[in-house]
Amino acid sequence: MAVNPFNLADGQRAERKLLITVAEWKETVGTSIQVTREILGTRTEDSSIDYNVDIETTTDIRGNNYTDVNKSQPQQEFGTYLVLGGSKLGPKLNDIRKRNALSELSQFTIYVITAYIGNATDGYEAERHTKCTISYESLGGDTNVNFPITIYLSNMDDTTTATAALGHAGIGTVDKLAEDFTFTLDV
Amino acid sequence: MDKNEAVIQYLLQCSQIQDNPLFFNFLDAKDDNKQFITVANDKRLNKTYIDGSVLRRYTFTIVDFRSVTYQAMVKTAGYPNENFEEFLDVQGIVDWIEEQNDNRNYPNFGTDCIIEEIRTLTDNPVLNGVDSNITPPLAKYSISIQIDYLDISKKLFH
Repeated sequence: MAVNPFNLADGQRAERKLLITVAEWKETVGTSIQVTREILGTRTEDSSIDYNVDIETTTDIRGNNYTDVNKSQPQQEFGTYLVLGGSKLGPKLNDIRKRNALSELSQFTIYVITAYIGNATDGYEAERHTKCTISYESLGGDTNVNFPITIYLSNMDDTTTATAALGHAGIGTVDKLAEDFTFTLDV
Repeated sequence: MDKNEAVIQYLLQCSQIQDNPLFFNFLDAKDDNKQFITVANDKRLNKTYIDGSVLRRYTFTIVDFRSVTYQAMVKTAGYPNENFEEFLDVQGIVDWIEEQNDNRNYPNFGTDCIIEEIRTLTDNPVLNGVDSNITPPLAKYSISIQIDYLDISKKLFH
């Protein structure tokens, strides 16, 4: 698979808003299943995906180092996740919190969209992680009610057996930068 | 909508302002005339969010001219002191702003702006000075007001 360049001019920095995290979940409404999405990051000033790479380094008797990367457990913390009017994920998590239905916290699909790769015609590069966990950390604050959350990415896309067998996120593109995007897996 | 126009429309809901002429930037200073001026204007605060939205602050000042009297306070009922009465009237604008904020009644800055708060910088009008060279002498009161709002026009995802 070709490595796609950044869609930026030489020396141009990517604005933070070009790295987008989207939470998606399914709910049964009547007899139909409704898919809901929320773009995360409203009123968040700083948030990064931490990959938590587990590294093991050994040194042989000649002094050479050998480094193994055993695993990566990516997570993203939203230290500011305010209780906001119009939010969809907030009420969903609050409902789970009230019912203490902890297993439901691991039923989210997360898209990580890198809008600094790709374009409106061919789509923007994105990853899809299924069965991700979103945990709420606390509820309260000072002036406004804060409900900080942490997202634990699964490194897994069980949407198709092909991607599930690979043991990593589904890699593909989204057709547009809007909440009703369509994700297409790379073939 | 232009923010200055939005604020003027908003201020005209206030009874203390409705009853007297309101000017923008320039006026003929006389009793009961009010001037709406922009001071710090509209600026970006150092808060940019990861979704591309930005917290901004719009600041303006209302200047209110009131005639003054050099009569001492009289305790007798029915003889109100003009200076005291005028001050209370100007104070009414400050109270009105606070009330609107409590009721979340804000100026209409358009769909790309979400207003968070409107508040006066002081709890009372500031007396900037008195011009005694004219008749009647005029006191100049000012009230600085700031509006914090979220500008979502640069947000990538809507």
